[in-house]
Amino acid sequence: MSEEAALAGIRVVDAAGSIATGYCGKLFADHGAVVINAEPPEGFGTRRESPFLPAAEPPENSALHAWLSTNKASAVVQSVDDVCALAHDADVVLDDGRFDVEDFVAATPSVVVSTLTWFGRTGPYAHYQGTDGVVQSLIGMVRGIGTEEGPPILPAGCQAQIVGGLAAYIGTLGQVVAREIGNAAGPVRLDTSLFEANLCFTEVGGVGGHRSGRRVRRMGVNRYPPTYPLGIYPCRDGWLGVTALTPSQWKSFCELLHMQEFADVPQYQSAVGRLQDAGMLDPLIHERVRDRSATELFNRGQGARIPLALVPTMEQLFSVDQYVARRAFDEVRPSAHAGFMAPVTPFRLFRTPATRGGDVAALGSMATAAASEAVRRTSA
Amino acid sequence: MSRPGLLEGVRVVDLSMGWAGPLAARHLADMGADVIKVEGCIRFDWWRGWEATQEWIDDNGAEMSPAFNMVNRNKRDLTLDLSTPEGAGLLLRLVAISDVVVENYSAGVLPKLGLDYPVLAQANPQVVMISMPAFGSDGPWQAYRAYGSTVEQASGLPHQSGEESMPPTMIHVALGDSVGGLNGAAALLTALRARRRTGKGQHLDLSQSECLFPLGIKGILTQSVTGSPPQRLGNRSLEHAPHGVYPCAGDDEWIVIQVRSEAEWKALAAVSGIVGFGDVADRLARQEELDEAVRAFTSAQVAELLMPELQDAGVPAARLAGGLELTTDPHLAARGFWKMMQREHVGELPHPAAPYRVGEAPFDIDRPAPTLGQHNEEVLSEVLGLGAKEIAALAEKGVIGTKPRLP
Repeated sequence: MSEEAALAGIRVVDAAGSIATGYCGKLFADHGAVVINAEPPEGFGTRRESPFLPAAEPPENSALHAWLSTNKASAVVQSVDDVCALAHDADVVLDDGRFDVEDFVAATPSVVVSTLTWFGRTGPYAHYQGTDGVVQSLIGMVRGIGTEEGPPILPAGCQAQIVGGLAAYIGTLGQVVAREIGNAAGPVRLDTSLFEANLCFTEVGGVGGHRSGRRVRRMGVNRYPPTYPLGIYPCRDGWLGVTALTPSQWKSFCELLHMQEFADVPQYQSAVGRLQDAGMLDPLIHERVRDRSATELFNRGQGARIPLALVPTMEQLFSVDQYVARRAFDEVRPSAHAGFMAPVTPFRLFRTPATRGGDVAALGSMATAAASEAVRRTSA
Repeated sequence: MSRPGLLEGVRVVDLSMGWAGPLAARHLADMGADVIKVEGCIRFDWWRGWEATQEWIDDNGAEMSPAFNMVNRNKRDLTLDLSTPEGAGLLLRLVAISDVVVENYSAGVLPKLGLDYPVLAQANPQVVMISMPAFGSDGPWQAYRAYGSTVEQASGLPHQSGEESMPPTMIHVALGDSVGGLNGAAALLTALRARRRTGKGQHLDLSQSECLFPLGIKGILTQSVTGSPPQRLGNRSLEHAPHGVYPCAGDDEWIVIQVRSEAEWKALAAVSGIVGFGDVADRLARQEELDEAVRAFTSAQVAELLMPELQDAGVPAARLAGGLELTTDPHLAARGFWKMMQREHVGELPHPAAPYRVGEAPFDIDRPAPTLGQHNEEVLSEVLGLGAKEIAALAEKGVIGTKPRLP
């Protein structure tokens, strides 16, 4: 890692090994911090997360773990004492609630123990079992997804954990920066709740519910009030994503689909007014796009300043010209498997760029003593 | 109490509008940065309202938006007409003594105003500036317009959620915005740290659609390493059962139950009385039958009561809350997550805490979102050193103001 890397000189020990701490640590590592996975002998739990590399064996066969672990080191720890010894001089310890600040403070007097848990360290849910679906249900996201009759649909994957890791990165780096500019000192435990982190999606709805006293009913797949038209429509050669919010976007959208008779209807100058007639307008939109090319509509629509989208399949995603031009994917190189393409850090610092992709250390490939030395300030 | 002073002394010029940019700046404000939001009376933050009429202006519609009020707390507000030489000049003076600029204008707007990064960096070489276009600042889509919904559509995520029989399924009205905002805050802190190390400012570029790739990482990696797309499983799992959303007593009441281990299955069986199913292989093979048994149990239960009963037994479960329940959630209440604050024109509003805290109490919130131009005099006099006559002249010319104007 270049001396110019944004986070060079920061030392992080991940003592938890969750997807959330893994993503938080990945952002540190890809921007140049020394990040060491302090793993139990069987490896972090993320090593048992799908998808798996077809030609590798456990514990080196999780593609998810590999992506989370680019540019990090791995050391095996046998005990809490090992973790504490490893974290000597660390700026940050990523934790899932098993450690106390006091465990580290003797050796690292200004350590930031950043604790990521599903519900935070206090409160009546603190002992609850969390999953992505549990959190997404409690924040009010799931209730709005799917058909009117239900059941509501859970978002796929590990989205809530990624959002939690991202929020923890913000809070943790804020503490590190504050120490460096003299606005904070001494040890601190930062408590990040994945539940609260994911409320960023629905806090506006929470305030709306508080003010109106009403519950918004689910309106069907891809139907989210107050915006209309909003949705994904099948075309001759793929899928077109539609959003038309302002009166001018609605007018241009009507022109694009040869629906000019609806462009100036007073009721349709507001999104809510259009939503009231979605039952009539939606079949018409379907009919007007189904025999046309999604690519052509997308480009012509964007030319008319309508925020339309191509909706790439997973197969198409890697070859979307915009993402190819920006090199949005790069190679992750596991220790025991051929490299594979995966998303790079989504924000770009032009002067101090993040590492794109990167190497993945095998379990315990760094001896504990060497890892401890890497974290020590004197080795910087 | 007051906001933590973690970023005290850091000044942020927030030119952004809508959700993503203002949310990024909110995180810095919550940590104690002095965030000055700059809007125009004609080109005001569109989240105040995007269907402006004179009647709406006369009724103070620009101050009513819950969405605007959520993401702009802890900030000051300055109006400047950036299309005038006076407005642009004052912005440059402000940037010259600031640390961060946040902007999410459409491509071409700032260059047209003569206020793009090279110009701002000339005024202040140490400034950190983030641009947050939907698809990034280069590539064939760089000038394309988008909302949070558009970037979700373009991210590939809709092909992961839902059932095979459904069209690609979105999960939010504007998913890209909040994720873009979090990434924006992360990027700014990273660059501030780099500046601390190198002494140099820089320009940051964030593609809101690429910000969603990590959320879809399991599906993206499945495609990458197997050559096949992930299955769209609806609420089911290839690895665990039962795993779904089940009806409860009442109108549109549901509970999610996601059993991940034999211990959790035994706990669920004990609470529900469901019998006749074996290990996970057996349960996965008989998912229809299993789901029917779970439905038969949950449909007579009250979701609000069943959640703690199952959780206390060790089963991951949650009621499906709606917006109505968020501000009354007992856990959030116990953690002081919502702070009630008076806001001019709208009365008392709940404000959500930052998702990270030190100790038991959340970071405090000093003030609600500003009204349009609320801090014109304060910023122009205290920060930029203008006198009362100069400020009055700016108001006279319409460079500053406190009410929206139609173009």
